[in-house]
Amino acid sequence: MLIGDKAAANTFPYIQSQQPNSEVEHEASTCRISEDQLFYLQSRGIEFEEAVSMMVSGFCRDVFNQLPMEFAAEADKLLSLKLEGSVG
Amino acid sequence: MESKKEIKQPLLEISDLFASTENLTILKGVNIKINSGEIHAIMGRNGCGKSTLSKIIAGHPSYEITSGKIELCGNDIEPLEPEERAQSGIFLGFQYPIEIPGVSNLEFLRVATNARRKFLKKDELDTFEFEDLVKEKLDIVKMDSAFLSRSINQGFSGGEKKRNEILQMALLEPKIAILDETDSGLDIDALRIVASGIKKIANENSGIILITHYQRLLDEIKPDFVHVMADGKIIKTGDSNLALELEKNGYDWTDEFINKN
Repeated sequence: MLIGDKAAANTFPYIQSQQPNSEVEHEASTCRISEDQLFYLQSRGIEFEEAVSMMVSGFCRDVFNQLPMEFAAEADKLLSLKLEGSVG
Repeated sequence: MESKKEIKQPLLEISDLFASTENLTILKGVNIKINSGEIHAIMGRNGCGKSTLSKIIAGHPSYEITSGKIELCGNDIEPLEPEERAQSGIFLGFQYPIEIPGVSNLEFLRVATNARRKFLKKDELDTFEFEDLVKEKLDIVKMDSAFLSRSINQGFSGGEKKRNEILQMALLEPKIAILDETDSGLDIDALRIVASGIKKIANENSGIILITHYQRLLDEIKPDFVHVMADGKIIKTGDSNLALELEKNGYDWTDEFINKN
C-alpha cells in the first residue's frame, strides 16, 4: 500500500526453479483507489477514512478469505491501522 | 388546499449558480427552488448540464462552483463535504451506480443509514435491528434479501442497480432526493417498480428532483413542476403539460432560444 503523493513502488520479481521442465510465471497488479467508488460511498454519508477503509478491506477480502481465521483477523486489523492517507 | 400551502418550507434553493470543470463552464446561472412536498422534473438534451447540476449539489470533487449559491433549508452547502451533505439530507440517485467489489451491500447500507441517523440524533442500529429495518424497506422495491449479501452493485443488472438506489433512498429518508435518470435502461416492469417505490417514499416533508428524458416516468409520477434546461440554464418552467409538449415537439426550439439570447 502506498501512502502520500511522492510514494513509489518498484517490483523486481525473481523466481528460482529446481525443475527444468517447469514453466513459471510472475504476475502483479496495482490500482489506485477509484475516485468514483470513493464519491459513491461519501455521497451516502460515509466519512472519507471509513470509505477508504471499506474499499481497501473489500479489495483484500478475497485474499483474506483464503487465510486461516486467526491470521485473517489480524491482517484485517493491521490494514485498518495503516489506512490513513493512503493513495493506492 | 390553503393550509397545505402554508406548511410548505423551502428545502433547496439554488440561486444564479455558475459552475465549471477543467476550466469549462457548464452551469451558466441556474435558479431553482424546491419546497417540501414538491416533485420537480428537469429535462433537456444530453450535455445541457442536468447531470452536472446533480453532481454539484451532491458535492462531486471534479466540479467547482464559480459563483452563486446552493442552500439546503437556508444553509449554504458549499463548504460541506459530500458525506456531510448526505448526512444533512441530500441524496443523489446515480445514473450509473458504482460497483464496489468485496464490500457487502448490507454492511454498506447499514453504515450509510447509521451516518444519517447519527446526524438526526437517532440511535444507531446494530446488525440485528438494521436487518429488521432493511427487510421492511426491501418490499418497497420488491428486492430479494439475497441482494444484501452480495457486493455493492457487483453483477447487478441495470434494473437491480436502480432498485438498489431507491432502496438506499428509502433507508436514508433524505430531505431532498435528486434522481439522475433513474428510469433510463429499465424495462417496463422495472420502471413501474422503481416509480411506485419513489411514490411510496415521497412525502410532505421532502422534495424530489427527477432528471429524465422520458414521459413514461412522468406518467407514473406526476411532477408539480417541469423545468427545461439548455446550455447550462433553466430556460423554461411549467407544469406537467410542459413535458407532454416536449414529448411532441422535441428540443429544437431550445436551440433557437439559445441563439436568440
